[in-house]
Amino acid sequence: MKHMIVLGLLVATALVAAPVAPQGEKSQVAKMTLKVGDTAPEFTLLSDGWKTVKLSDYRGKKNVFLAVYVLAFTGG
Amino acid sequence: MDSPAANAAFAKQISITFPLLSDMNRKMLRSYGILKGYDVQNETYEWALRANIIIDKQGVIQFVEEGDSAVDPNTALTMCTTLHKKDATK
Repeated sequence: MKHMIVLGLLVATALVAAPVAPQGEKSQVAKMTLKVGDTAPEFTLLSDGWKTVKLSDYRGKKNVFLAVYVLAFTGG
Repeated sequence: MDSPAANAAFAKQISITFPLLSDMNRKMLRSYGILKGYDVQNETYEWALRANIIIDKQGVIQFVEEGDSAVDPNTALTMCTTLHKKDATK
């Protein structure tokens, strides 16, 4: 894993509505729009150390494993 | 969408050594198509999918896994190893 950076994205708070929504309500089908072979959209996010992290920081240097982790119960 | 402070506390609690990122304005989640709207009684609520995405050094997506299958990271980890080996042979 030397050449791989792992980035975790915690999205614990936004999501309570989905699993308990009443039947008959309209919902979008959850499906990611990106696929293998696409260029990953650039992003700039804040790390837990309050540092700015850009995807392009790793361009040409490291592969990136981006884990979007929902409902991690971080305490929020 | 948790704050960096909440993520820092969580990272400390479970001894995480890689960066935990916050998408406070949900821009990244939207651009990756991970954030979905859900209409309940004329209100739209947004929630994110669980996902594992591997991006190579050239910025190209090499692996995407979403929803229930993304809970188990083993397939993504195998892909990481494959990519790493591919880099080593170059």
